[in-house]
Amino acid sequence: MRARHPNRILHFRRPWWLIVSLVVLFAASVTNGADANSGTVQHDFRRDVVPFLNQFCLDCHSGDDAEAKLRFDKFQEQSNVQQEFLLWEKVQRAVRDRKMPPGDALQPTEDERLRGTNAIATELSRFDCRLASRPGRVTIRRLNRAEYDRTVQDLFGVDIQPARAFPTDDVGHGFDNIADVLSIPPILLEKYLEAAEAVVDQVFANEEARGRLFVHQPRTEEEKVDAFRKNMFQFAERAFRRPLTESDQLGLFRLAESAFTNGVSEENIAKTVCTAILVSPHFLFRVEDDPAPDDEDGVRDLSDWELASRLSYFLWSTMPDDELFALARAGTLSEPDELRRQVVRMLQSPKSRALVDNFAGQWLQLRDVATRMPDPGRFPDFDDELRQAIRRETELVFATVVHENRSIVDFLEADYTFANERLAKHYGIDGVVGPEFQRVSLPPSRRGVLTHASVLLVTSNPTRTSPVKRGKWILENILGEPPPLPPPNVPELKDDADALGTLRERMQQHRENPACASCHEQMDTLGFGMENFDAIGAWRDLDGPAPIDPTGNLPDGSTFAGASDLAKLLANGKKEAFARCLTEKLLIYALGRGIEPFDRCAVNEILKQLEGDAYRFQTLVTGIVLSEPFLKRESSRTK
Amino acid sequence: MLRRIREPNQISLSRRAALKGMGVALALPWMESLAPAAVASAGPPVRMAFLFVPNGVHMPDWKPQTNGYGFQLPYILEPLREVQNDLLVLTGLTHDKGRDNGDGAGDHARSASVFLTGAQPRKTSGSNIRSGMSVDQVAAKTIGQQTRFPSLELGCERGRSAGNCDSGYSCAYSSSISWAGPASPMSKESDPKLVFQRLFASQNATESDRAATERNALRKSILDYVADDARQIQRRLSRTDHLKLDEYLTGVREIERRMERQTSDVQSPSELDYPVPKGVPSDYGEHIRLMCDMIVLAFQTDATRVSTFMLADAGSNRPYAQLGIPDGHHDLSHHGGDPKKHAKIRQINRFHMEQFAYLLTKLKSIPEGNGNLLDYCMIAYGSGLGDGNRHNHDDLPMLLAGHGGGTIDPGRHIQYPIETPMTNLFVSMLERAGSPVDVVGDSTGPLPGLQI
Repeated sequence: MRARHPNRILHFRRPWWLIVSLVVLFAASVTNGADANSGTVQHDFRRDVVPFLNQFCLDCHSGDDAEAKLRFDKFQEQSNVQQEFLLWEKVQRAVRDRKMPPGDALQPTEDERLRGTNAIATELSRFDCRLASRPGRVTIRRLNRAEYDRTVQDLFGVDIQPARAFPTDDVGHGFDNIADVLSIPPILLEKYLEAAEAVVDQVFANEEARGRLFVHQPRTEEEKVDAFRKNMFQFAERAFRRPLTESDQLGLFRLAESAFTNGVSEENIAKTVCTAILVSPHFLFRVEDDPAPDDEDGVRDLSDWELASRLSYFLWSTMPDDELFALARAGTLSEPDELRRQVVRMLQSPKSRALVDNFAGQWLQLRDVATRMPDPGRFPDFDDELRQAIRRETELVFATVVHENRSIVDFLEADYTFANERLAKHYGIDGVVGPEFQRVSLPPSRRGVLTHASVLLVTSNPTRTSPVKRGKWILENILGEPPPLPPPNVPELKDDADALGTLRERMQQHRENPACASCHEQMDTLGFGMENFDAIGAWRDLDGPAPIDPTGNLPDGSTFAGASDLAKLLANGKKEAFARCLTEKLLIYALGRGIEPFDRCAVNEILKQLEGDAYRFQTLVTGIVLSEPFLKRESSRTK
Repeated sequence: MLRRIREPNQISLSRRAALKGMGVALALPWMESLAPAAVASAGPPVRMAFLFVPNGVHMPDWKPQTNGYGFQLPYILEPLREVQNDLLVLTGLTHDKGRDNGDGAGDHARSASVFLTGAQPRKTSGSNIRSGMSVDQVAAKTIGQQTRFPSLELGCERGRSAGNCDSGYSCAYSSSISWAGPASPMSKESDPKLVFQRLFASQNATESDRAATERNALRKSILDYVADDARQIQRRLSRTDHLKLDEYLTGVREIERRMERQTSDVQSPSELDYPVPKGVPSDYGEHIRLMCDMIVLAFQTDATRVSTFMLADAGSNRPYAQLGIPDGHHDLSHHGGDPKKHAKIRQINRFHMEQFAYLLTKLKSIPEGNGNLLDYCMIAYGSGLGDGNRHNHDDLPMLLAGHGGGTIDPGRHIQYPIETPMTNLFVSMLERAGSPVDVVGDSTGPLPGLQI
């Protein structure tokens, strides 16, 4: 029997934490009674949340022996969602993700579940930023493969990609630069050592690269040791992206000394020191110091050196360049005007290509274009040339928005794109000749990235389109409203003779199951709007023998006919949701951690600036760079 | 080459023969306890490998009609004809922790992470991933310490590079069956060339002994230096960062340990008479077979005794064009009872089985001890789902090939009562490999019947 799940409730594994938080919560509920704003808050809470709690939660979560010591019977009058947003975030997630109520308890209908969680979400969105300002804390983060390669290239000025041999980095929150998720399995350390040795061998064999390493040339025998020290320390400083401490210097000195004592040649001593620097955790990890233990609020401003690395890894996926280092050394990098200047400079630089590869490549799932295998029988046109072209197209549009500082809404409604002859043919655009990409106007049937073949391909199955995947893709990556998880044991979409008809008709039958309807209604409607594009993104009027019906109604009553229409609808009516979605994704990518409830303040602030400046991309990046989570760090104690 | 620590004891051959003679069809659980560490008393060590296929299998063409010896091979298992008497078909085993147990959708992700851990994964897409230690890693920490590599993790797919994997589960779950700890999935190597170089080519053939000695000494000093740095950082930062630096330090120690063994027992590639693989071949079957070769070579040279191999990641939607199947595997596995889709699925299942047969035949062709390498192996092959359409986690498809150094009596189909934990099999395997433990994940005891 598992009538109650003592250890599984909301995944609380630290009851002490709960007890403390509940004490705070109840104390707060007394003082909050006088809050002038609470009238409207109470209204929603009473109408939509309290009945839900009473019906589905109180059985276990009430009285002195409440499960997980969580007593919802205390929440009959006051929501206190704001004071205890962490708790309510968990409640909301647990109900939304069907962790609660447990499987053997009375279950809410889909509508009840949605209404309850939405009401909590509404409460949470009213979060008062004056209550708590927290920048959050990023776990010590190792370089991922892309960052490793680019860093080594910049460090030595040699074109090498040793990380190709490294195992893939795990993805979390949609990106592969998330500190918590980047683990260090034993094989990786092996690869680090091998790569370091290979890189050093290569650099020492290359006259030019070697020259950059041995800047200080001794003129006399006496100067030799000093020059060696200077060269090695200078290299270590760049590799560690900060000035060396005494202990750093001592460690390196001892390493060289012990090799020297053992009769190792000068050449090999230098090689050993360089290799050691490349395997050192100071190089492989981005180490940021915690606030001092006696720090009162447990929050500190990042140093200019730490900021230089945050900036360069955010926008370039590599180490800071000389200018960033110089500003850090001068101590002026953290001045807001300087940061603004640097954002513009860095986005203009060719190095911002990294943002296209690594951010856009993951946000829009462009990286998956390389691995999709459309059925050659159904799509004989699809070849590697087209595969590369469709990825390049989206990359170029993204890069254009970055470099020309255009509105992020271009991603949704741009009437231009980039095509070479191969892609133009695929889209039915005339007048493009040759393999070079040029800027072209889109035909009226296409607008923005939703109609890019890259996006259409990665949201399809090898043999057919998947309106569900396409709809889900829009909800997740454009609107930032990932659909709730499907209930367990959903009956399958029948493919047998009883269920003949178009895909749309069969999906309609699927939706007759109320457990599926509430979410599939949304996903399918959006996805079917894109049905005029086949599984490799070419235009079609028919699906098999049946004409395509690309019309749909959104929950707000607006209607559309086809993908272009849908894109325009999203660009006009869902601009705020899209801006929030992109802001959150870029913030996750910039910080290397997931969004926490307290980040909503920073996000709101960035959005305000973005709206005030016509949604320009640089304003979004500047907003992130000047936000508290980017500039500060809190100690782990405040968590 | 055979230096190993062996525990005395276990049932002697004559005793086993006697039991067989008495006509005991299925050993009772208590009989397992007669052989608490049923390791072969002398001779070569026991090796173990675990192979994973995604999306379940078409069970009606997998499950033999009869129990015990002499069963007729169903369609999917037909490629195993040559090695039928070297393997057990185990049915009825269950991974309860692969079920949602209140966590909702995500059976594919769970099917991989639970496959060798028997632990309920925590549903998270980013931080705080949590599974359990997998059976191969339990072995890696014991018998793995006697070889240069504690274990070898292989896979043909490299995991997702963007987006989400399965219903709110981190991609680490669907792309990892090997877990060194609850939060430490092991990365898998997908390029046979890199595997080969890692196993055999780390020694520079042209380097003189003196140069090699110096190189090793310098490496050692580098590792000392970086370990010092890691410990310093660890002292400065808070607990949440410790795991990362612990992982780093484990890696350092692992390299040091290997360097100490390096000189004595590496076989040079030329001795093996095996050409260095050229990289990842475009043909999927060839890719799988090359990875199988790597397992064989590693076992043959005793570079490791433990390996895992994911033929594809959980939920893989790879088409099988070489079989005339353009549809994605995952897409197909939601067959909805369509016989045309069933036909394609069992074809895919059989294709994987052909590759498994290749591995077993190859192991069998290599002399070892008084017999062949397969005699000293335990190779588990299966999926974390039964039927890809139903997403069930009971009555899972599982094969156990090899004789475990004489501790297994293969050639039979054993049907266990439904809900028998899969992890009981792992307890029994660890016992036979000389790495006994009381519990793996949700195990309730050893699995009876592997030996008559």
